[in-house]
Amino acid sequence: MYGFIWRHLPGNVWIKALLSVVLVLAAVYVLFQYVFPWAEPLLPFNDVTVDDQ
Amino acid sequence: MAATTDHGEHTDAPASPPSPAPRRRGGGRIAAAVSLLGELLITAGLVLGLFVAYSLWWTNVVADREADKQGDKVRDHWAEDRGPVGLDTKDGIGFLHVPAMGGDEVLVKKGTSTKMLNNGVAGYYTDPVKSALPQDEKGNFSLAAHRDGHGAKFHDIDKLGKGDPIVFETKDNWYVYKVYATLPETSKFNVNVLAPVPKESGRTKAGRYITLTTCTPVYTSRYRYVVWGELDRVEKVDDERTPPPELR
Repeated sequence: MYGFIWRHLPGNVWIKALLSVVLVLAAVYVLFQYVFPWAEPLLPFNDVTVDDQ
Repeated sequence: MAATTDHGEHTDAPASPPSPAPRRRGGGRIAAAVSLLGELLITAGLVLGLFVAYSLWWTNVVADREADKQGDKVRDHWAEDRGPVGLDTKDGIGFLHVPAMGGDEVLVKKGTSTKMLNNGVAGYYTDPVKSALPQDEKGNFSLAAHRDGHGAKFHDIDKLGKGDPIVFETKDNWYVYKVYATLPETSKFNVNVLAPVPKESGRTKAGRYITLTTCTPVYTSRYRYVVWGELDRVEKVDDERTPPPELR
């Protein structure tokens, strides 16, 4: 998978490396901004109130 | 990853003899599938690691920033308007100071919805048991806040012991409470801890109580941790907002 991405990135090694870093940062951004905030309430780590339900 | 690269180099190489190619291609396909699976597992591991970083670090950064902003707003409101105005429930009713938990002030707002608590504030209960407010004659001022992540305002709740002060600051008053009982572990369905007279704490008469609730053990929310305090005295806020001796 990563080999496939690497081979399909354009340019020489340095440009590929730069593009890889950009892709990684984009993935982390999407995770922190959208995926984790969505997933967190579904996981039982952060309920702090007492409740009768 | 290495297998895939090998495979690619081989197919690209024009001089490779034709006879071993089919065998290599079949083996290469399995190797590619295995390496893809491996890469997906590594990726899953990295994502879980990132989720831990998100939960325990990033949510604190975001929540503290938001809480500071909201706290500043409340203080600005207080400073602007010197009249005898009561509690401002929309933006937050005041600040909680607990020296035993590190002494940072915690903004207190109405309600205990996840969305609101995620802003790094504490909330007073409106449901399932309606909280009293500090200025009420009798009742239980009951609060919840996060133990980990999202500001983690009650992270050190286990440092609170009998006699420790919990000070609530409003525009005009310092309400000084003293801890008299703790309950290190209780069911999350135990709403009795919020009762106007919290019998589980050992008190049977109506009084002016404060209840802090959060989750326990740390990093999970299997149980709830409860701390009860009782009003010791009320001090008027002076012009310099000099804190009571407990906070000095």
